[in-house]
Amino acid sequence: MRQINAIAVAIFLVVVLILFAFTPRNTQIMQARFLGVIAPLLKNGSSLQTQIIGFREGLKKLNELDAENKQLRVELDELKATDQTLQGLAAENNQLRRALQYRERSAFKLVPARIIARDAGSWWSTIKVDKGSNDGLQPDQPVLTEDGLVGKTTIVASNASTVLLISDENCGVAATVEGTRERGMVHGTRTSTATEPDLTLNFLSKLADLKPGQKVYSSGVGGVFPSGVLVGEVKDFVVEPLEGTASVIPAVDLSNIEDVFVVTGRSK
Amino acid sequence: MIYIYLIFAELLALTAQEYIPPLPHGARVLLLPLVFFYGALAVSPPAMLLLAFTGGFMWDALVATQVVDGSLEISLGWSIVLYAALGAVMSGFRPLFKRGHGWEIHCLLAGPLVCIFSLSEYLMITFRRGDFIFPKVIWWRIGSEGLAAMIAAPFVFLFLHWLALSFGFIRPREERMAAQH
Repeated sequence: MRQINAIAVAIFLVVVLILFAFTPRNTQIMQARFLGVIAPLLKNGSSLQTQIIGFREGLKKLNELDAENKQLRVELDELKATDQTLQGLAAENNQLRRALQYRERSAFKLVPARIIARDAGSWWSTIKVDKGSNDGLQPDQPVLTEDGLVGKTTIVASNASTVLLISDENCGVAATVEGTRERGMVHGTRTSTATEPDLTLNFLSKLADLKPGQKVYSSGVGGVFPSGVLVGEVKDFVVEPLEGTASVIPAVDLSNIEDVFVVTGRSK
Repeated sequence: MIYIYLIFAELLALTAQEYIPPLPHGARVLLLPLVFFYGALAVSPPAMLLLAFTGGFMWDALVATQVVDGSLEISLGWSIVLYAALGAVMSGFRPLFKRGHGWEIHCLLAGPLVCIFSLSEYLMITFRRGDFIFPKVIWWRIGSEGLAAMIAAPFVFLFLHWLALSFGFIRPREERMAAQH
């Protein structure tokens, strides 16, 4: 081996060994910094992709857009009116709860975020969103849409974040099944991806006898995910030697979502 | 100068592959290894190690390394080692590249090497998570990624090579051959 090659190999090994010695905390900091650097590229790529899709699908005519705009304005007014009513009901509900000395249950603080990239790896289910610590995000915050649970934040840079989807094997959600006292843990399988999600609900009683179509909600156990968020619905139920296991169809179409909400806390 | 060009190409490939939709069975089109393999053919072994470091680091930082419940599933740096090992195989074929058979070698080796890369990643997560499971979909995914890499390889190679020649980062084959003689 030529001397220069030997020196290069030695330097390479030393640097790699230093990286191996990184603690999980330092690794996350390093990942967040790199994500922060690459985020502008991802955001530009995402907007370019949107433009290409828009070009392919063809631009809508002006009158179509005008009609759509009018329709959306009407819907917005309706939603504002509904929101006013709901705020009144929430205030009344909280007042009654206080009267009954229950803990005040208020709505979540939500940060809207746009997906700028989807998982590039073969064995992980993640997405990247355009909001980060500058917008109040932190690791391990729940991410959802109006349809249900999406996942949780893992790496948070100043201007972007990585979200681990519920279809990933590493993302466990403590859950309950509607109409039963059953509690279990929902997580993806090893072969699961965002496009072909495969969720299972484990640790159920063998006598659970769940029916297809029953809703699965987060139970709030564990502290990451709030209780009562729709995770999906039961596809089938199997009794195994030690426990009952259900397949779950996710409530959110993980391969087609474009916008999500990150729960950064509870509003006062 | 070619190192900076290839590192930048790696970064662009990593970004671009985020926008390529998945193939059936959840397989991905992996562009970053293809850019790296081109680099492994085009540059000397020490420079190949530099490209392995940058490519592996980018992959680990953005995709592969996950902190789960406060512990690392795959340590930062494993992909660098994998890239270096695969790059060493590709580097062995540099004499053929110098003789002008670059794209054929790149195309033929890209498939098997990408399969080895994907399989190694799967083995690492299997080792960490337990349950040594190998359903058919895993093999389909790994095979599809290798096949996709072989199909994409000539385009990536020719584009990178054309740019490298255009900017004068590498000499044309005739000049290289003349220099050898």
